[in-house]
Amino acid sequence: MRRLLSTFLLAATVTFGAATAHAEDAPGTIRFGDVGFGFGTPFGVGLQAIADAKGFIADEFKGTPTKVEFTYFTGTGPAINEALSNGQLDFASYGAVPNIIGKANGLDTVILASYGGTTIFGAARPDLEIKSISDLKGKKVAIQKATIIHWGLITALKNAGLSEKDITIVDLKNADQLAAIAAKSVDAVFGADFLLPLEDKGVAKIFYKSSEAGASGDGFGAFLVTDKFRKAYPEATQKVVTGFVKAAQWLADDKNRDEAFKIWSRAGTPIEVISKSNSGSQLGQKYNPRLDEFFVARYRSAIAFNREQKLIRRDVDLDAWVDPTYVDNAVKTLNLQSLWPDRSAAGVLQN
Amino acid sequence: MATFGAEDEFSVVQAAPDVFTKAKSLVGTGLLILALPVALVALWWGASINGLVSPQVLPRPDWVVQTFLDLLASGDIIAAAAVSFRRIAEGFLIGATLGFFFGLLIGKSRTADAYLGPTFRALAAVPSLGWLPVLILLLGIEESLKIVILAKACFVPMAISTAEGARNIPAGLTEVAQVLGLRKRTRFLKLTIPAMAPFIASGVRLSLSQAFISLIVVEMLAGTDGLGYMMAWGRTLFQLDIVIVGMIVVGVVGFVLDILLKRAEALICKRSAANG
Repeated sequence: MRRLLSTFLLAATVTFGAATAHAEDAPGTIRFGDVGFGFGTPFGVGLQAIADAKGFIADEFKGTPTKVEFTYFTGTGPAINEALSNGQLDFASYGAVPNIIGKANGLDTVILASYGGTTIFGAARPDLEIKSISDLKGKKVAIQKATIIHWGLITALKNAGLSEKDITIVDLKNADQLAAIAAKSVDAVFGADFLLPLEDKGVAKIFYKSSEAGASGDGFGAFLVTDKFRKAYPEATQKVVTGFVKAAQWLADDKNRDEAFKIWSRAGTPIEVISKSNSGSQLGQKYNPRLDEFFVARYRSAIAFNREQKLIRRDVDLDAWVDPTYVDNAVKTLNLQSLWPDRSAAGVLQN
Repeated sequence: MATFGAEDEFSVVQAAPDVFTKAKSLVGTGLLILALPVALVALWWGASINGLVSPQVLPRPDWVVQTFLDLLASGDIIAAAAVSFRRIAEGFLIGATLGFFFGLLIGKSRTADAYLGPTFRALAAVPSLGWLPVLILLLGIEESLKIVILAKACFVPMAISTAEGARNIPAGLTEVAQVLGLRKRTRFLKLTIPAMAPFIASGVRLSLSQAFISLIVVEMLAGTDGLGYMMAWGRTLFQLDIVIVGMIVVGVVGFVLDILLKRAEALICKRSAANG
C-alpha cells in the first residue's frame, strides 16, 4: 500500500508539476504514447495519429486547462511498456503482442478501444518460387520477434497447414531485414508497409497481404489507459475515448482518405506506398474501435500465441483487462451503431 | 646513450617498492573500487523496496539474483557467454594480428604511411555501427558479419598502438644495432619487438575492450544468440531483470579482463624496461 501510494505521489507530482491538484475531472496534462517512425520528429501511422493531427482529443478539452501531449516512440512496444511503467504516460496505443507482454508483467493498463488493424506483408526474393505461404516450407524468414508481425506469420503458417518448425525464423529489426533480403541472406521477410518499396526496387516480390487473407489476418492492437488514471479521472477518460472514436468516424468517411494518407506520410512512408498498402480496404472497417467479440477473439489468439512462444510467464485475464463501457458509450452518443455493428468472433457482422 | 640511463632509473623505481606501502595501497584500492558499486546497490535496493521506481523497469536486487541463478541453472547464460566469448576470441585473433602487421607497416615505412595512413584513419573514425548495413549487404547476417565487425574493432587500436610503438623505437638503439651490424632477424626479435612491447600490450588491452563494446552492439542489432541478444530479448519481453543480469555479467567480465591485461601490460613494460 505504501509502495502504491508513493508511486502514485511520484506520478502525480510529475503529471501536475507545480499546478497543484485540481478538481477530480481536470488533469493538468494528459500524456499519450504511440509507436512512431521517421527521422527528426517521429510520427504515428494509426488512429491515434489522426486524433492527434486533427485535434479530435484536444477539442474534447477545449475551454478547460487540460492539455494533451503526444509522444511517438521509435523504440516501439518495449519503449512504451517502459514509459507506462515509469508513470510517463496515461494513454498508449500499440500492438497486441507487446501490450500483452506489458500486462503479463504487471502493468496496470486497461483496454479502452481497439486501435484497428495493421496490414502485414510478406516479401520474398524474386529469384525464388515463393508465391504463397505454403511455399515457405524449408525457407529462411526474417521478422522482428515478439511483435504483431511475429503473430501474423505464425498464424498465416497455421492457416496454410504449416508450423513454425517448417521454416527457419531469423529475428531482425526492420532496417536489417531490408539489408538481409537484399543480400539474399534470407529468403523472405514479413513486415508492415515498409516492405512495399522493395518490390519497386526489384529486391523482393510481395507474395502475401494480410488484408486479403480474410477478416482475421491483419495485425491488431489496442488503445489503453493506466488504471490509475481511469480511476482518478473517469470523465476525462470518457472524453478521450470519445475523441478517439471521432477520429475513427472521420477516417470512415471516404472523402478524408487522401488527407489521412497525407497525415500518415509524416512518419516517412511516401503517400503512394500508404495508398497501395490500403488499397482494397475500407478505412472505416479497418479502424473499427469497438471492443466486440471479434476483438476479444483476436486478443485471445494473441495471448495464446504469447504463451506458446514463451513470451509471457503468467496468463492474462482478458475479461478483467478489457473495459468496453467507454467506447460503447461514445459509439452510442455519436450514433455510430450502424457504422460499426457487433462482429462475431469470426469477424461476421451480427445484425 | 642518455636513454639508457633514464630507463634504468625507471626500472629500479618500479622493481623495488616498499612491501608495506604496496599492501596498504592494495587494500585502499580494493576499498575504493568496491565503494561505488556497494553504494549503487544500496541505492538500488532502497529505491526498489520503497517503491520509488517501477518494479518492472528496475527489479529488486534479489529478483535479479534469482534470475541470474535461474539462467545459470538452465544453462542459458553459459551458452550465451560461450557464444560471445568465442566471437571475441576469433575477432580478436584476426583483427589484432592484421592490426599488428598493418601498424608495423605504417609505423616503419613513411611511404606506406603516406599512402595508407589517411585512408586508414578516415575508415577507423567510422564506428562499427555505421558499417553494419554495408556489411550486412556484403556478408549477410551470418557469423562472419559479427567476426568482421569485431576484427575491425580490434584492428584499429592495435594498428594505432603498433605504429606508435614502431615510430618510437629509441634512435639510440637503432644506432647501436647498426654499429653492431645485427642481422635483420636478430634486430627485429631482440630490438624492435622488446622496444615496442609496451605499445603492443596497450594495443591488446584497447583492442579487447573495443571488441567487448562492439560485441554487445552487434549482437543486440543483428544477432540471434550471445549475451547482447539475451539483453535485447530481455528488454523485448519486458523482463528487465534479464537485462540487468546481462549488464552485470558483461561489466564484471570486462572489468576482470581489463585488470588482468593491465597487470600483463605492467609486467611487460617492466621487463622491456629492464631488458632495454
